[in-house]
Amino acid sequence: MEIKTHTDGATLTIAVSGRVDTVTAPELEAGLKFGDATRVVLDLADVPYMSSAGLRLLLSAHKTMLAKGGELQIARVPPAVREVLDLTGFSGILNLV
Amino acid sequence: MTFAASKFARFLPSATFAMAAEYLMGLSDSVICGQILGEEGLSVINLMQPVFNAVSFVALLVGTGTSVLYATEMGRFDRRRASELLTQGLWTALLLGLGLVATLACVRHGATAAFGVTGGVLDGARTYWAWFLPCALLESLAFYLSSLCYADGDGRLSAFAYGAQLVGNCALSVPLTMKFGYAGCAVGTTIGHIAAVAVLLLHLRRAENSLAFVRHFSLADSGRICVCALGDASIRLCQAVLTLLLNLYVIARFGEGRLPVLAAVLAVLGLSEAFDGVATAAQPLASVYIGESNDRLTRRIMRLAARVATAEGIALTLLLAVWPGLVTGLVGLSDPVLVGPAQQAVRLVALGLVGTAFVMLLNSYYTFRVREGLAVGLTALATLILPAALFPAAGHLFGETGVWAALAASPYAALALVAAYVTAKGGRGAFPLLLDRARERASRVYDLVLEPADVCRVSAALGKFLAVRRGLDERKAGLTSLLIEEALMLIRERNAGRRIHAELTVTWKEGVTIVVRDDGRLFDLTDADTAVSSLRAYLVSNLMVAIPARRNMTTTGFNRNVFKI
Repeated sequence: MEIKTHTDGATLTIAVSGRVDTVTAPELEAGLKFGDATRVVLDLADVPYMSSAGLRLLLSAHKTMLAKGGELQIARVPPAVREVLDLTGFSGILNLV
Repeated sequence: MTFAASKFARFLPSATFAMAAEYLMGLSDSVICGQILGEEGLSVINLMQPVFNAVSFVALLVGTGTSVLYATEMGRFDRRRASELLTQGLWTALLLGLGLVATLACVRHGATAAFGVTGGVLDGARTYWAWFLPCALLESLAFYLSSLCYADGDGRLSAFAYGAQLVGNCALSVPLTMKFGYAGCAVGTTIGHIAAVAVLLLHLRRAENSLAFVRHFSLADSGRICVCALGDASIRLCQAVLTLLLNLYVIARFGEGRLPVLAAVLAVLGLSEAFDGVATAAQPLASVYIGESNDRLTRRIMRLAARVATAEGIALTLLLAVWPGLVTGLVGLSDPVLVGPAQQAVRLVALGLVGTAFVMLLNSYYTFRVREGLAVGLTALATLILPAALFPAAGHLFGETGVWAALAASPYAALALVAAYVTAKGGRGAFPLLLDRARERASRVYDLVLEPADVCRVSAALGKFLAVRRGLDERKAGLTSLLIEEALMLIRERNAGRRIHAELTVTWKEGVTIVVRDDGRLFDLTDADTAVSSLRAYLVSNLMVAIPARRNMTTTGFNRNVFKI
């Protein structure tokens, strides 16, 4: 798994590539550091697969950002990941752009 | 260790113990009568062998037939049909058992007279026969219950029942024989049988019991049960006829005084019962795989069984080569004039044990596949036709040694003949398992211990395989990959702290079908309404809604979930 971050003012963009499963999820969790950013964009364009371990991280990041009055946007969600979000009803909770 | 190997390894000790106990039980009356009543006692019990074989024949017919058909129907996910066969098996055990009691009672005088013995041996045989009659029914019931316990994953109780029977029999038969002679010995055996039935009935009260009786009676099903197990059971019938022929031949050619030597030889031939433990251990899984038409796993479990059978055969051959006195001592031979030739006979006949182990395993396998013609053919060749054809000629040419050598050579000759027949009919590679190579190629098996790294590796590999090699659209391949990771991790979650083996079979002949087996706590993975205790459980529950073609069935004590993508 590869995680790239880019900061533009108060916006932090985190681009993830690779499968997010039970084994790789801790790696992603370690990479989800938001600092002072009030707007975080999680770019999932290169994530072909996400299991519940990844969903838990998305939900947790979403709650963290809400708690600090910020916003988490999930961007460029591939169809396979989108299906999992739809299946669990997470697409209605998370901010997908 | 794979899932199949771990299940087989779990069943093997109890199955081997059960079969060894059954063998010792068959031998116990010989030993007890031999030790307490002398060589006359040994001759009497030796003459009873055809009766023992007839009783075993009926018991095997009912027990093996019912358990094979039951497990195969469970393999096909038809629980209702499996329960019908289970119920009819009970009726069949009762009907055939009672029929055998009546038949044996009617032929007792005529049959004992036909043995050509007189005096104490004749009186003893008639007395033992009369008191042994209830065992004809009890043996059928005991073997029926024991086979079903195996099919339901309760091998330990089955082994415990055999242990109870053996201990009960020996503990009671010794004092009863000392006090009442042959009648006491037979009564002890009967009580041992009652103990076994009582222990086996406990399974029906256990929480893990999944055997369910239904209102059903069908003579056609009784016929199916009996025909299915004909190959397995006919071993006993063939042995009964061969024993009779050997008895008559030895009496006529070498004299009644050589019967104790034959008793030692029969004890070695009877070891074929102990080899049945390997097939018994393989049967619950093999029948389910056969029911699923899973040729790849059928081959795997039978290869495993063949390796164990070979090892057992070699070990026993070596043991008897080094220590033939084990058998002669066990049957109570003490006369030095008889002990020497008997030990030589034991060594010689033991050379056939590896072949016998294969014959037994293959015979059971053909029974699992409901190829009764092949099973009966192999059995008849190995245990009756070839030995009966060879031993008189060999005996004429080489005396007693020739007779024993003919008995040792027969199983190998039978295997060669059956191999030639199957190859001629099915082509190269058809012998011995008759499996379809094309069907094997249309499936893939993944074995794993449920650890996160292994689960994710298999999930990713399977998704990639289905998308790239099988041309499944990416959405379905991804969904399958997700299902595997989540389902296996949920099983792990529900079995915290335990090492769980799982086995995944993927077939793609008619759509993609995935069978997930695991040896963890029993629970229905396919239940969309199951309690949601975690995000993972929630996702699995939603996946179940997305995959309508799914089934769960507890089979042989393990979880089995099937998904059609």
